[in-house]
Amino acid sequence: MIRFVLADLRLHALGAVVIVLLIASATALGMAVRIEERALRLGSARAADRFDLVVGAAGSETQLVLSSVFLQPAPLTLLNGDVLRRLSEDPRVEFAAPVGFGDSFLGYPIVGTTAEFVESLGLAEGAPERPLASMGEAIVGAGVRLDAGYEIRPMHGLPGQEAEEHDEIVYRVTGRLAPTSTPWDRAILVPIEGVWKAHEHGDEADDEAGHDDDHEDHGAEAAAARLGPPWPDDLPGVPAIIVKPRTIANAYQLRGEYRTETTLAVFPGEVLTRLYSTLGDARQILTAIAIGTQALAAAAVLLVAMAHLAQRRRQIGALRAFGAPRVAVFGVVWAELLLVVGLGVACGVLLGYAGAKILAIGLSRQSGIHLPVTLEASDLGFAAVLLAVAAAIAALPAIYAYRQSPAAALRS
Amino acid sequence: MLSLSLEGVVVRFPDLAEPALDLPGLEVAAGSSVAVTGPSGAGKSTFINVVTGLERPSAGRVLWSGEDIARLSEAARDRWRARNVGLVMQDFHLFPGLSAIENVLLPARFRHIRLPAGLRDRAVALLVEVGIDAGARGIETFSRGEMQRVAIARALLLQPGVIVADEPTASLDGQSGAAVCALLTRLARAAGATLIVVTHDPALYGRLDRRIALAGGRRADALHAEAS
Repeated sequence: MIRFVLADLRLHALGAVVIVLLIASATALGMAVRIEERALRLGSARAADRFDLVVGAAGSETQLVLSSVFLQPAPLTLLNGDVLRRLSEDPRVEFAAPVGFGDSFLGYPIVGTTAEFVESLGLAEGAPERPLASMGEAIVGAGVRLDAGYEIRPMHGLPGQEAEEHDEIVYRVTGRLAPTSTPWDRAILVPIEGVWKAHEHGDEADDEAGHDDDHEDHGAEAAAARLGPPWPDDLPGVPAIIVKPRTIANAYQLRGEYRTETTLAVFPGEVLTRLYSTLGDARQILTAIAIGTQALAAAAVLLVAMAHLAQRRRQIGALRAFGAPRVAVFGVVWAELLLVVGLGVACGVLLGYAGAKILAIGLSRQSGIHLPVTLEASDLGFAAVLLAVAAAIAALPAIYAYRQSPAAALRS
Repeated sequence: MLSLSLEGVVVRFPDLAEPALDLPGLEVAAGSSVAVTGPSGAGKSTFINVVTGLERPSAGRVLWSGEDIARLSEAARDRWRARNVGLVMQDFHLFPGLSAIENVLLPARFRHIRLPAGLRDRAVALLVEVGIDAGARGIETFSRGEMQRVAIARALLLQPGVIVADEPTASLDGQSGAAVCALLTRLARAAGATLIVVTHDPALYGRLDRRIALAGGRRADALHAEAS
């Protein structure tokens, strides 16, 4: 029987290949949507894992998370420097690290922060024991292609924007972070004092935090002499502060305390969850499109199967005339369709996985977020459901063949 | 070998006033050979469908050695046909993409998950007997005369009690037709099978024991039949 099926498929090899490709692409689309969405969710959640609490100026929570955790270029309102000082002196806080953006080099964002935070991200081998010990030092992310000793002249402006070179400061790469699979792999970390210094004149007009100019100058100079906390009284503003609370209870207390009229405190994980529920709608649309495509493919296959069956009507009638049982006729038609559909779904799973992988590699290169593309049992379950639906649909032509009178078929 | 006895067989189609077949009585002795002739529309195909169990008559009994196949279910008639009937058809119904030997074995493959021992040897022997060398090439490369000889080998494979041929020479040229005639009658006789052949071909019906003429679904040779 299987020989008979294979012989017929060989005779119609070209058509069968087209059908397999059709089913494979429809399956791959659904598969890729599932896999990619999960990878995006997992990848961004993992990237946010290291950031317990982020404090910024009042504004959009999503923007704060995107800018601080995912290093998405966007100008943030500055937070008063006192907040940083208060936080780093708070006994409930293990460390509070400022993050200052605004400059870039060769497309890599330059992020001003403290040695403490760099250490918490984890240094790769060969990095200095005390990172960012002096003003001209830079530690680069694992994905930054600059070697130790390289001289960095920051360009003012975020990556991708028109830039002008800062003359004041030159950084020298002294070490590298261990890979974090987060956008921070693409960052160049420098002392926050450097960022303050570079911007103390140029940004005065934009700075609406209401600082007294003399004070700010004075603060920056004082900070330049000695890096990191404890901070002097009058600090310049920072766009965001990453806070590591000592306990979970502390984290909730701090979040509550720093949700004020001028400040905003968020758990990145929580903001992401909210973001996903919005993205969930997009996923539903994509899923609906994928299901629509699958339905179209199923309709096309059914049409082709019925046309093929009409062509084989006499052949099937003859099979019955030679004594083939009706179940065998059903089996032949069904098995042939299942073989084609099964092959299509199997190819589609591989194709979808490969497509998701390629897409994820592209996205990772752009954003630095590692997207864990995996094939899970639920994906195979999804493929199995597709196959089961296909098997049910394939039974229609098979039933048609089963019910056909051989005498009538032979007369036609 | 099987004997055939039709009793009061009537076949009606819903859209026709006259029955397509109306045979009050017909006997074919076991092991004999019969030609069924008649103009187109005479009911020859319906006759074949009824005696092979492909179609159930509207009324009457179709007795093969006493067993009324008109009373069997569709599945049982399929089974009965597979076991007892060797079919040879005008346009062969060989399956492209399969070799000669696979075509000969195909009906058996639909009946058995594993071919019974010796069946393949028998298929090879039958192909030798009908003068076909059992190569691996696809059946579609054969000439029409060769195809019909493969079909005869297929009909004989399971040692059927009756061989039914529907216009076996109609689509062949004179020479191949003659070869097929000779082969069919010789092998049926050698196997001891009852042979029923629908044909227009005088060369073929001349070789058979008896001739039944049909017209308008009825016997047109009542006198001739009684005389025989």
